[in-house]
Amino acid sequence: MEAGALSNPVLRARRNLTDRIGDPLLRGLSGLAAALAVVVIAGIVYEVIHLAWPAIQQFGAGFVTTNDWNPVTKRFGAAPFLYGTVVTSFIALLFAAPISIAISIYLTELAPRRIMRPVATLIDMLAAIPTVILGLWGILVLGPFMRDTIEPALHSVLGFIPIFDGDPSAFGYLTAAVILTIMITPIITSVTREVFETVPDDLKEASYALGATRWEMVRQVVLPYSRSGMVGATILGLGRAIGEAIAVAQVIGGASLINASLFHTGGTLAAQIASQFQNSAGLQKASLAYLGVILLIFAVIVNVIARVIVQRGKIEDFQVTETEAAAL
Amino acid sequence: MSKWQSDFSSKSEITVTYGAIGSGGGIEQITSRTVDFGASDAPLTEEQFEEANSQGEVEQIPWALSGTVPAYNVKGAPKNLKLNGEVLAGIYLGTITSWDDPAIAKLNPGAQLPSTKVTPVYRSDGSGDTYAFTNYLSTVSPEFESKVGTATQVKFPTGVGAEKNDGVAAAIGQTDGAIGYVGLAYAASSELSVPLVENSAGAFPEPGVESVEAAAAAVEGIGPNNEISLAELPSTAAGAYPISTYTYVIVPLETEKAAEMKKFIEYAITEGQSYGPDLEFAPLPKQVVAADKKAIAKIGG
Repeated sequence: MEAGALSNPVLRARRNLTDRIGDPLLRGLSGLAAALAVVVIAGIVYEVIHLAWPAIQQFGAGFVTTNDWNPVTKRFGAAPFLYGTVVTSFIALLFAAPISIAISIYLTELAPRRIMRPVATLIDMLAAIPTVILGLWGILVLGPFMRDTIEPALHSVLGFIPIFDGDPSAFGYLTAAVILTIMITPIITSVTREVFETVPDDLKEASYALGATRWEMVRQVVLPYSRSGMVGATILGLGRAIGEAIAVAQVIGGASLINASLFHTGGTLAAQIASQFQNSAGLQKASLAYLGVILLIFAVIVNVIARVIVQRGKIEDFQVTETEAAAL
Repeated sequence: MSKWQSDFSSKSEITVTYGAIGSGGGIEQITSRTVDFGASDAPLTEEQFEEANSQGEVEQIPWALSGTVPAYNVKGAPKNLKLNGEVLAGIYLGTITSWDDPAIAKLNPGAQLPSTKVTPVYRSDGSGDTYAFTNYLSTVSPEFESKVGTATQVKFPTGVGAEKNDGVAAAIGQTDGAIGYVGLAYAASSELSVPLVENSAGAFPEPGVESVEAAAAAVEGIGPNNEISLAELPSTAAGAYPISTYTYVIVPLETEKAAEMKKFIEYAITEGQSYGPDLEFAPLPKQVVAADKKAIAKIGG
């Protein structure tokens, strides 16, 4: 039947016609879509730098180290927000990475299938909570809990370290970091889970056959095999943490000075832009755009690091399989 | 604004569309003339004026009037605590740190005041309420003026920043010992305790449309760009609420829609004022309506 259709000269002619138009059309359209993405990114970068130009001219590189943000005196600097971004993202990663890896190990290696599906779905749903809602929950529930329970406990045990010194507060770096942890855990979990699922069963079985316990198998097979994937997932979470604006702006307390205490109010690059851009003009607006430039550079650096690590991981994996092949 | 919009459209068959995009975007769009008018919760700063005037002159016209109200949450403290400008300035400068501070006790003789720590809450986003509040504090306290100043966004040396009125209200509600400031309309609809703030007559008027109206009526001075500060009240105005501010409309003088714009602003400052009290806006005083009419006449040459 198919052969008959092909030999039908009319159909063949028609197919040739669609082929002739179809291929270039596909190439043209998909190329256009790709070009559009490039143009949009270039446009955004140009626009942000253009907007930031007055501040770049005024403050130069010293902007990065200036520990001030005063709309009245028109002295602006990125240091308080750069510090806040680094501190909150770092703490969030410190919590989220181990939690996510533990969840993924449980879901892929330990949990019965009946539990695995619903739990995995619930964790994915955590990522779907609008950040504004998470921020509101931060103000009403998490913040007071941090202030009344967690922070006093940290203070009484570790108060001699400056970062745990100071008055407990519902708003501040630590509350923001916990909100970020909740936000990035689902992302890191879902990627690490997928990575763990790609560990070949024969490797795991081989490990068991050698007498490994489940923990030994996870430690010696699953984790090393997935190393680059886990790092990639963590960096993905870091990217999200650095860029999150709304929820952080709601709970960090909008202060524009560096403060050693994690209980103290502060700010982050993204949160500062989100809360002040709408009502700013002149040099302040340019300075906010300058914060945006720094945020962009930050994001690019994180992305490049992730790519390098994942790429290197791939090569290593490949080498492993080659040596395995040689051994065989 | 949305009330004016629908009411004016039905009466004049001129459609008004309005979007709240923030004053930064508003001034940009006025400058590029992509919109016919803008509104600002605070008089434009010099910098903003420069930007707005760069493509032809604009006129700033006060067209609505409302108050900013401090609110607090202190367990064990009485409702309607009496406070004054020095105390509020001290709280926001970080020099008054506990609720049983002698300065507060002196204003509230006989009141039981707990030793709870004071947590000042401020708006971390730009806001007309921040403008009204800092304008008031800068007027009563030279120290506040030199250390913080007046603007829609300032750098407070202490306290907690929260987003929008509801963020401030939530932060106050969740923190024992917190004090903040919100718009009059917001304060009226929330259950926060509101202090009575002393005015220059030494009286403690209740914040509300009447006391804001009394404050506006008592101020005669109108600036070269029709800007009016309601922070410096005459000591004769006993019923005047000390923390209030105007909202302004910004219109280009040269506009194709001059006739329609004139009609709309005229409507807003006269007929439109009748909707104010329901929304916790006070009606404009006579002298401001008169000044506004002169300003409206300039639109369209």
